[in-house]
Amino acid sequence: MICVGAATFAAAAPTLRAGPPAVDGQPSPQPEDKLFMTAAIAQRDRWFGFAMTLPGLFALVLVVLFPILFTLWTSTSDFTLLKPSNDAFVGLSHYTQAFATPEFRHALSVTLAFVVAVVILEFLVGFAVALALDKVEHGKAVYYLILLFPLLMNPIVVGLIWKMFLHPTLGIVNYVLSLVGIPPVDWLGVPDNAFWTVVAVDIWHQVSFMIVLLLAGLASLPKEPYEAARLEGAGTIRCFFWITLPLMRPVIVVTLLIRLIFAVKTYDIIYIMTRGGPGQATELVSYYIYRRAFVGLDVSQASAMAVILLLAVLALTAWLHRYMRSLAQ
Amino acid sequence: MTEIRLANVTKTYAGGQTAVDAVDLTIHDGEFFVLLGPSGCGKSTTLRMIAGLEPISSGDLFIGERRMNEVDPKDRDLAFVFQNYALFPHLTVKGNLTFGMKLRGVPGPEQERRLAEVTVMLGLAPYLDRKPGQLSGGQRQRVALGRALLRDPVAFLLDEPLSNLDAKLRAQMRTELVKLHRRVGRTIIHVTHDQIEAMTMADRICIMHDGKVAQVGAPMEVYRNPADTFVATFTGSPPMNLVQGRLENGAVHFAEATLPLDARTGAGEVTVGFRPEDLSLAALPNRLPIQASVVAVETLGADAILVASLAGGQEIGMRVAADTQLEPGSPVSVHLDPNRLRLFDRQTGKAIARMA
Repeated sequence: MICVGAATFAAAAPTLRAGPPAVDGQPSPQPEDKLFMTAAIAQRDRWFGFAMTLPGLFALVLVVLFPILFTLWTSTSDFTLLKPSNDAFVGLSHYTQAFATPEFRHALSVTLAFVVAVVILEFLVGFAVALALDKVEHGKAVYYLILLFPLLMNPIVVGLIWKMFLHPTLGIVNYVLSLVGIPPVDWLGVPDNAFWTVVAVDIWHQVSFMIVLLLAGLASLPKEPYEAARLEGAGTIRCFFWITLPLMRPVIVVTLLIRLIFAVKTYDIIYIMTRGGPGQATELVSYYIYRRAFVGLDVSQASAMAVILLLAVLALTAWLHRYMRSLAQ
Repeated sequence: MTEIRLANVTKTYAGGQTAVDAVDLTIHDGEFFVLLGPSGCGKSTTLRMIAGLEPISSGDLFIGERRMNEVDPKDRDLAFVFQNYALFPHLTVKGNLTFGMKLRGVPGPEQERRLAEVTVMLGLAPYLDRKPGQLSGGQRQRVALGRALLRDPVAFLLDEPLSNLDAKLRAQMRTELVKLHRRVGRTIIHVTHDQIEAMTMADRICIMHDGKVAQVGAPMEVYRNPADTFVATFTGSPPMNLVQGRLENGAVHFAEATLPLDARTGAGEVTVGFRPEDLSLAALPNRLPIQASVVAVETLGADAILVASLAGGQEIGMRVAADTQLEPGSPVSVHLDPNRLRLFDRQTGKAIARMA
């Protein structure tokens, strides 16, 4: 292929050229010749680049694109694990059915409540801690290390730790409460408790993400506007609302969006701590999809729901991407 | 009268290093006062201590009769212009200018009136709705000045305000600052490392070196009678020539030349200083001839600098006419105005009392 491309260019060259005749049969060097040479080399480089990236591309298609396409396909067929031979095309009926399923709608509303609670609380706690840490001069590395610990832990481990801590009779939390005379609390057994417990554990696990990002943002703020404001008589509160908050806006929006995207997909903690229960009190949409597919064996329906979730996450990601692009300009 | 007085002011950092060392200064009311020195000499720190942005480690700061060491920056009634302007990037020019007035609760109509006055004075009217990011360096500079003017302070503190501008704009802003100073009649303390800025704008210059005051005086006084070899070489371009010499038998000997001194006694190693313009090629009356050989002639356009080497190999610079043609290596006789000669102690670098 490569040689053919180059040869075609070489053959075309003399006919295009209107320079002086060649002296000894060989065409004399012309600027156009150089141009064709570079074009040929560029072409060859492009092909070479393709060839080198092909294995990687193939792997990506295999592990990323194929499952997505397969999910799209199953979501439009009536394939279930109970009847694997069933693969008739049913169009978008699973999608309309998804929204008609009360459990799915419930899972969506629980997810929405969870995401809003988690993102807002993590942001408030994270920003407060970041502001406090920003002024720390000694031992910042130690604080960082301690703060990063939860983030470095596997969510499964986090879930297990807290499940043990919060055990109604054996957990350390209830034991400590009993020392100060508070009766044992059933953290994960009562619907309202369970929801807020899961929210609290997620905050414990993820808040350092907010802290680290917001802290980096705070550290990069210019110092002079604060000095200028101080000379004008602005106090700490005024400086925060008039300078810090507006200057931090880009960092805040990006942090919130990234956390939002991840919160929508929360799965592991629910799986370990509550299995969506009690009842459906903590059934987030990703856990519900899992249950539908691998407990209920209704793979097609679950696929349609997964695609809906994917689209929601995609929309959030596109929003994030656009915002970041607008910042760059 | 609001004099600004620093008495024995020292700044020591936590690491133990001293940035400003026992500085005594009195800045008169309405004066254009320039703090001049190389970077790291403590001039900006001094300014920031006056403003209250840095705590004073020891010593006293007075504005008028009042001791200001512990007074909050906003209550010192000073305006500060930062080197990088420190504009609020999220606010428009108008927002930046009215920030302080809003904070102090100046009534709306009064705000508008003062804003209009300052925007006209600085020619900022067309930019009021722009954000700092959409302005050029010179425009940002003017917004920063405007913000300071709107405070109507006792004194303006300018921290290298012109150093981020290109050469042409800088020259223009120098003139504008001097005009502005005349118009508002307030004290200006201007920090710079640029001796041309200091010479052109200042009523008085304070030259700082290693955290200490090297010399305070009117520009020409500092130029003519530098207090030490540091001031001698930091001012003037090219700087003052410093040549090793010896004081002996009531005369100073340097580079095979001897200059009798009127009333001087004592003997010892000295540094002899003279400015490039105090030498001439022509043998004018009462001048001291010195033999040298030409190293190079650097043409500057309006004039040229003749670099010559004295006996003993020390090089000096000399201001000559632009069309001077001299072959490198050829001998030349230069003539020094003895009245302009300055002597410095070789060890301490301090000026030895002026010649009659």
